[in-house]
Amino acid sequence: MILALALAVSQPAATQPVTVHDAFGRTVTLAAPPQRIVPIFASNTEIVASLGLADRIVGIEAYTRYPRDVLDRPLVGGRLGFSVDSIVALQPDLVVVTPSRQAANQLIDPMERIGVPILVLLQRSVPEILANIRLIGRVAGVAEQGEQVAARFEGRLAAVKRKVEGRRPPSAVMITGRLGTGLMLVAREGTYTGDAMVLAGARFALPGTQTIAQVSPEAILNADPDVLLWAGSARDLEELVARPGWSEMRAVKSGRAHAVNRVELLIPGPRTIDGIEHLAAIFHPDAMRP
Amino acid sequence: MRVWLGLAAILLLAMVVAACAGHAWASPADLWRALAGDAALRSRLLVEWRLPRVVAAAFVGALLGLGGTIYQGVFRNPLAEPYLLGSAGGAALGATVALLVPLALPQSWLLPLLAFAGAWGATLLVIGISRVAGAVDAAGLLLAGVAVAAILGALRSFLMLALSDETVSLQVVLSWVLGGIQTPTWAGIGWLALIATGCVGLSLGLARRLDVLGLGEAMAIAFGLEVRRFVMLAVLAGSVIVAAAVAYGGLVAFVGLAAPHVARWLVGPLHRPLLPASALVGAIVVVVADAIARSALPPAEIPLGLVTAVAGGPFFIALLARRLRS
Repeated sequence: MILALALAVSQPAATQPVTVHDAFGRTVTLAAPPQRIVPIFASNTEIVASLGLADRIVGIEAYTRYPRDVLDRPLVGGRLGFSVDSIVALQPDLVVVTPSRQAANQLIDPMERIGVPILVLLQRSVPEILANIRLIGRVAGVAEQGEQVAARFEGRLAAVKRKVEGRRPPSAVMITGRLGTGLMLVAREGTYTGDAMVLAGARFALPGTQTIAQVSPEAILNADPDVLLWAGSARDLEELVARPGWSEMRAVKSGRAHAVNRVELLIPGPRTIDGIEHLAAIFHPDAMRP
Repeated sequence: MRVWLGLAAILLLAMVVAACAGHAWASPADLWRALAGDAALRSRLLVEWRLPRVVAAAFVGALLGLGGTIYQGVFRNPLAEPYLLGSAGGAALGATVALLVPLALPQSWLLPLLAFAGAWGATLLVIGISRVAGAVDAAGLLLAGVAVAAILGALRSFLMLALSDETVSLQVVLSWVLGGIQTPTWAGIGWLALIATGCVGLSLGLARRLDVLGLGEAMAIAFGLEVRRFVMLAVLAGSVIVAAAVAYGGLVAFVGLAAPHVARWLVGPLHRPLLPASALVGAIVVVVADAIARSALPPAEIPLGLVTAVAGGPFFIALLARRLRS
């Protein structure tokens, strides 16, 4: 009796069937809370896991590395695409997907045809990440948990905002990758990585890189930002800033060239909030000191 | 007659095996249960997803076989292939627009539509250019085709660079360009069957005149064939057929080149038997290659065009060598 009561409290009266609209404007209806979820991509897996639903995850894709306790699940896809066969073999009752690589193209149509609910999420900004945490919470029948988790993240973001507000935002460039041609990929406005930089209290040293993310190293040298960020290992950063020209940059000479954690800033999941706190500590070390 | 029965039997066998093939193999018994209306998820997958794809692969292969035979007949060149006159570049450009530009129509319609329009439009452009340039013979067509293909390829690359971002992946475009059979609904399969039947009829209508053209231009004129007009007509017909294949299968390398040769060894050079035989050979090759593409590297799917080229290439070379030696 007490157990039943406890269960009833922890799992509030199921409001299923639930009907939601996903990022493609599709209507997705679930008759009952899903128990066998296949989230495609690390970001969606992390969102599902952040709601305490890791044990409902029955399959992942090959580049999911977190959380550790789901890494033993069968793989349903990877660099070369996603397998409808492998997903169906897991008997899922929900597939969560982001239109990246070929996932949406390869999976929406077959799943719709055989009647497996498939939810498309876009995580292009930090508000979208939070909205998706709430959405998955509702879809999975744990709406309250979704609300709590998202509110907790919002609280942490508000705390960062309070600390960095009113301070001069340093100009910053975050390099997220290098191409064979010597061009560099940088975090842009209007992406979640760019969002994270702004929320952490920086401004873009290279504004207006809206359409193409590749810039020449010269553009970065010319911009001469207050802070230079390298999304990768400290060793690669050292190698980069040792080059002629780079070693003369203000950020390098003043010790404000930092390597930052790729998974926190390049996977649009709950860990982005950690990434924003870490960025804020780089941009505004005095404000963020406890 | 034995050849025809043999080809039909091989195609049927290939389709059954292909329907069983996948990352999760099904047995013929599973297949039967699924067809009988079993409601399990896996059975529905077989009926709604795998079978339509196998059937579509057969039709795409058949269309490529027809298109290749017509082109080889028109250009009297064993190296002619269906993508010769810009259709590959045009189709790829159309597909790129459909995949990367957000438009009002659903993509499942837009992709085959724009791929078809691109393939056929490019061939029309090639024909138009060669006429304006006054080079209406086969060589003129081929050169115009090379130039148009280069321009269209550059346009496509630019679109891919400019329009892709985090949500619209280049891999989607790339994997289409490398060939991949669409999976129509059963209603869509009905349309495809209708289109394919029409294409067989269209190509059979050209068969006798292709034979005459094969005797050489002078001889054909002596037989009363208006060579230039017929070349245009046959190229137009061939390009419609290829465009239909491209719309449903992306760019499947090599089949259109190889299938007519294999068919020629089986039924000889006359086009009336050669065209349907090429269609059957093309269908068999694409059904088998698609099954390999779907099942060889779980959980990934290899682009079909890579399988037809890598697996079909050596096979074709071996056949060719045996043929030449004997």
